[in-house]
Amino acid sequence: MNILIQTIGFGIVSASIIAVGAMGFTIQFGLTNVLNLSFGGVMTVSAFIIYLTEQQAGINVWLGLLLAGVGAAALTVFLGKTVFKVYARRGTHLFEMVMVTLGLSLVIEYAVDAISRDQVYSISFDQGASYHIGAVTLSESQIIIVGIGIVVFLALEGLLHLTRLGKALRAMAVDPGLARSCGIPTNRIVNATWLISGFLCGVAGVIYVINSLSVSYTTGMLFLPSVIAAAILGGVGSPRGAILAALLLGLVTQLVAAAGLSAYSSMAAFGVLVIVLLARPSGVLSAAARKVELTL
Amino acid sequence: MTSRWQHLGRWAGIASMVAASGFAVALPAASAGATNKAHRSAKAAKGALNEAIVIAYTGPVSFEGAAADAGVYPAIDEINAAGGILGHKVNVVPVDTKGDPADAVPQVDKLIATTSHIIGVAGVGTASAPTIVPILNSAHLPMFAFAGEAAFDHSKYKYFWRLLPPDDAVGKAMDLYAHQEGYKKVALVFGTTTGAQSNLPGILAGMKPTHEKLVAKITVTPEQPSYRAEVEKLVAAHPQVILTEMDTATSVTFFSELKQLGHMLPIIGTNTEVTSTWENAVRKALGTSTFNKDIRVLDTVAANKSPATAAYAKALKLAKSKVVAPWTGWVGNSHSQAAYDAVVVQALAMTASHSVTPKVYNNHIMTVTQKGSGKKVVYTYASGVKLLKAGKKIQYVGAGGPINFDKWHNSFGNMEAVKINAKDNTVPVKTIFEKAILKIG
Repeated sequence: MNILIQTIGFGIVSASIIAVGAMGFTIQFGLTNVLNLSFGGVMTVSAFIIYLTEQQAGINVWLGLLLAGVGAAALTVFLGKTVFKVYARRGTHLFEMVMVTLGLSLVIEYAVDAISRDQVYSISFDQGASYHIGAVTLSESQIIIVGIGIVVFLALEGLLHLTRLGKALRAMAVDPGLARSCGIPTNRIVNATWLISGFLCGVAGVIYVINSLSVSYTTGMLFLPSVIAAAILGGVGSPRGAILAALLLGLVTQLVAAAGLSAYSSMAAFGVLVIVLLARPSGVLSAAARKVELTL
Repeated sequence: MTSRWQHLGRWAGIASMVAASGFAVALPAASAGATNKAHRSAKAAKGALNEAIVIAYTGPVSFEGAAADAGVYPAIDEINAAGGILGHKVNVVPVDTKGDPADAVPQVDKLIATTSHIIGVAGVGTASAPTIVPILNSAHLPMFAFAGEAAFDHSKYKYFWRLLPPDDAVGKAMDLYAHQEGYKKVALVFGTTTGAQSNLPGILAGMKPTHEKLVAKITVTPEQPSYRAEVEKLVAAHPQVILTEMDTATSVTFFSELKQLGHMLPIIGTNTEVTSTWENAVRKALGTSTFNKDIRVLDTVAANKSPATAAYAKALKLAKSKVVAPWTGWVGNSHSQAAYDAVVVQALAMTASHSVTPKVYNNHIMTVTQKGSGKKVVYTYASGVKLLKAGKKIQYVGAGGPINFDKWHNSFGNMEAVKINAKDNTVPVKTIFEKAILKIG
């Protein structure tokens, strides 16, 4: 019984990491309809930023997290404005845009591979004291990771429902043409979305590394399937759905591993994705089928 | 101004599209490009021979490529410096299999179809070996494999040779070492890769004769963000020792979490872990004192004081710009030593047979490696050639120690448990004798 409770605790930690990435992914995907596979590459870059700032420059890890978030946001905005926008203007369709993002992802991944000399880098920092919450023992850094997941969720919900930016963003997600006709500055909204998405991508990359304690050029790409699965399972554009889906994926992964079937944990998680989407093709918290045009 | 920017935007779009799609195609094929380059340079040198390295340079087992390079390039440079093989200079043709059987086949087909004067192949690696070995064997190309698969323990491939212990033998050696250290309750933590999994049959076979009890068997999917559930399961089983083989990132995460829970245990790994990447990352994750105290790995017995090892170290230093830094990390590496010995053995066999034809010299590999009456022991290519030209018979003792091929072309000898010091050098702790390994059956 204790192992089961502990496993749920670890599942929540894993879910928090997935959730931050999935919320960043879903908010951008929900607005622009770009299935951005370069998200994984940007995540890898942010993971290396934390390695360089924390391990090489000696900067505090949480300050490093902010720097990595800012760096990832800047890179994402750059890609959004210079690459994706150019393709969209030239009439690139959804599938071709996916291939562009895949190409970019490979460019980033192999560039990082070359620069990092194909090495795996270990990140060693003080995880802080261990806390016993019932039968669950979590380190200080893991509790902070869960806290980050909750804060990001609340901040996004607040942004979407309590601010003008959020209202504009939701309006654009439903009907970009109508939103533009109503005087919403769509370009600025899209840029703001790239910025938020990139920042969350960077934060996700960093907390992934804080938990796994190693970074290599494949870090982001290996983590990306879980992020996309949570974003799609939760319903595209829904941070609430993303966090619920991340929780489901995190718990399934850990419970299967605790049952002694570790090699099948990822398979089980994606099996859940397939089954849930069979019942609810638009995701758990998405009411209707989405409009599928690029909005850039 | 606007039209100028629109014009620029159009070209930027075209350039970006070409770049994005081009890179997607070109980057994975980078290794093939390297192969072509090597191929062209080989053709440019008249009469030159080509030694191929068919191994993973990218992907999860890319450490094999680095180890192969660290053996082959020094050997080739040494051979060329000594006048080449029967007057022919030798080039290296690297081929990246990515450690994937499906990726490996077309690369090997291409190598055979487009490269002339291939004399042999070094480093057929784990995972891709089952698909590559039959192709190379059909092409009559002697190959010296890194692959540890037990399927090659008793294979009938005439051109297959292996200077490293098969994985099942490593597994049995792990059992024997754990037994000698007095451990009774054993946990197995292995990655899902072919190379890692192929140790398990040997370990399980060795448990009964060593009276060890398996308390946990955990298979981990590589590079997950956390293994806390698996670690908790491991701890709950109360093992005395962990036998393991995992890639670097997985090892860092798994063992860090084990240490965080305050349940660090002695760990016995395989020779796959004797790479500077693995050592540096895991040492940093665990701390030097824990790493030194708890980590032991099974490796082949390195002939540290042999003249062949000294010759290898010298050749390696001279070729240091061609190998992954730091070059000193490869001096005691059993894989790179095996790759070095493989090339020297091939070159000596060609000299002994007076032929650079693979089909001919393959029959003389045993001639230059096995013990025999009247044979002179040699430790370098140059000294071997000198004696062969003088009509003497030789036995090459390599950087990895004496070579003693069985009838299935496997040679591995004694093994030893080693610890790894701060300079990435292996320090022997206990010898596990080949006889004891073979006795397990």
